[in-house]
Amino acid sequence: MATIELRRLRRTFGSVVALDNLDLEVHSGEFVSLLGPSGCGKTTALRIVAGFEWPDSGEVLVEGQNVLDKPANKRNMGMVFQAYSLFPNMTAQQNVEFGLRVRRESRTARANRARELLELVGLGTAMSRYPRQLSGGQQQRVALARSLAIQPSVLLLDEPLSALDAKVRVQLRAEVRRVQLELGITTLYVTHDQEEALSISDRVAVMSQGRIEQLGTPAQIYSGPRTAFVANFVGTMNKLAGTVVSFEDRVVRCGPMLLSVPDPTFNHPVGQTVELFVRPEDISLELLSNGDEPPSGTFEGRVTSLTFLGPVTRVGLATDLGPLLADVSSAIALNLSADTVVAVKLDSSSLRTISG
Amino acid sequence: MAQVTVPVARPRSHRSRRARRHVSIWHLWWAFTGVLFFLLPVYSVVQFSLQGVAHGQNPFHWYLTVFDDPNFRSAFWLSVQISLETVAASLVLMVPTVFWVHLRLPGLRSVMDLVSVLPFVVPPIVLIVGLAPFLKVFSSWLFVRPEVLSLIYVVFALPFMYRALDAGLRAIDLRTLTEAAESLGSSLPRTLVQVILPNLRAAIIGGSLLTVAIAMGEYTVASLMGFNTFSVYTYDVGTSTAYEGVALTFISLLLVWGAMLGLYLLGRGGSTAAGVAITDKNSL
Repeated sequence: MATIELRRLRRTFGSVVALDNLDLEVHSGEFVSLLGPSGCGKTTALRIVAGFEWPDSGEVLVEGQNVLDKPANKRNMGMVFQAYSLFPNMTAQQNVEFGLRVRRESRTARANRARELLELVGLGTAMSRYPRQLSGGQQQRVALARSLAIQPSVLLLDEPLSALDAKVRVQLRAEVRRVQLELGITTLYVTHDQEEALSISDRVAVMSQGRIEQLGTPAQIYSGPRTAFVANFVGTMNKLAGTVVSFEDRVVRCGPMLLSVPDPTFNHPVGQTVELFVRPEDISLELLSNGDEPPSGTFEGRVTSLTFLGPVTRVGLATDLGPLLADVSSAIALNLSADTVVAVKLDSSSLRTISG
Repeated sequence: MAQVTVPVARPRSHRSRRARRHVSIWHLWWAFTGVLFFLLPVYSVVQFSLQGVAHGQNPFHWYLTVFDDPNFRSAFWLSVQISLETVAASLVLMVPTVFWVHLRLPGLRSVMDLVSVLPFVVPPIVLIVGLAPFLKVFSSWLFVRPEVLSLIYVVFALPFMYRALDAGLRAIDLRTLTEAAESLGSSLPRTLVQVILPNLRAAIIGGSLLTVAIAMGEYTVASLMGFNTFSVYTYDVGTSTAYEGVALTFISLLLVWGAMLGLYLLGRGGSTAAGVAITDKNSL
């Protein structure tokens, strides 16, 4: 399987910079997702790799070879599109066989390969169906099988699940990952759905304004966002403003609280204003009786909203540190209502600072 | 025990039944009027074409006369030949052009829209007056060939062929289909022939039939250029023998209906191949 390297890719559309010297390396057999909001350049990057767009400058290397001088039909890359892209005049089998017909494979070889791949995506019994006889999820499975039939060097997926409803999306993304692992094919996946990216990728590149803000494993991206953009874009994050009071001990004062920050990258001088980030699930709540002082290491908060999310309930809090969101078990949340006073505890091990 | 109220369907009142019957009568009335409007002239044509026959003669005498006339056969086949050439030339010219404009030059669509309606603006007589000296100067040989009529009819058929292809291409996701085919290794010509054209079948058939209708029925240019096409022959016969002319008119009508039936059957063939569509796009 091949490696993909994007080197200093730049692409502008008029005055809009879609890609701003983008660098990315995808290792052989790896599944990397480009994650970001609309207009961040992720699809442009993928289309440049596929050969449907050309950069103003930069290189795209596949197995060390620059492929920018090759047209899309000579790059041997499988691609699954956001829109349903099956050829309406062909059955599922004929769709899968199309790339093999272009390569002048024998009829038997084509049929065998089509059967094998349609079975791989769970559609062995739907080979003779036309796209209009298939559901959206089935069409995207056939599209995946079709893209794999040509034994591509890399697989490119451009938001292939975004047209499907939530439940099908969850099931299908697991299938995409299963097939990718089974074939070990190097894959570049574009999505704006953070849950999708985090759940199926080896690494995630979070993009904003044509640049990669952070590249790392899903766990690194989620628990260790390096920029405010990543912190805000991936998951839900509480932001606390504080002032550094001890550089050696990494202590920050936030309102009445002195918080010790475990972040090893902490590098702020005393007196500097910093932003601390903590996720809702790293905040715990304890009911306070009327007039009770919050225990040591906690501070007082008043419930302002309750949002039921299934297993957890997201609690909005008004505190001296500012508004906060906390996720608590829905069973515990039954004891809460608007204006309930609680003791709020931050899991100090999860506190992070982000420079600037 | 708690009562459960279940909404039940109301029994149909006499009033609603009356209303349904009332609507049905209107439907029938309009259908009858429509049928009368279309069939009465046809009936009159048939009736007239069967008159004027001498006692003991075949009632279809005028039809047989038309078919026996070698001029009819030559005029008919000339028109068929010109029609097919016009269709072929229109498709060869328009399909790649419209495909390319849609795919790579979408900004030119408005220009194409404008150009495609020019034949409506320029009357045929103006076209032929402008073309005749040009063709005579540059190629007197070309001027006497029936193929030149096909070239002129390509211009006449331009709005119909362009609109049909434009609508067909707008109905499919051209960019995605083309890119999908390219990603599978297909060249652009192969993509056009194997992926795009089959999905434009209805548009191509529709545009082609309209083109045939124009080429078969055009009189002004053919007459001015001295070709004895089907329409010229029909006019000439109509001015000399009324019964035969009317019989010929009915034959023309049958041809048009045959063409429409062909269009219907070909279009239906495409939809049955695709079978029943699944409406729930989100099921697995």
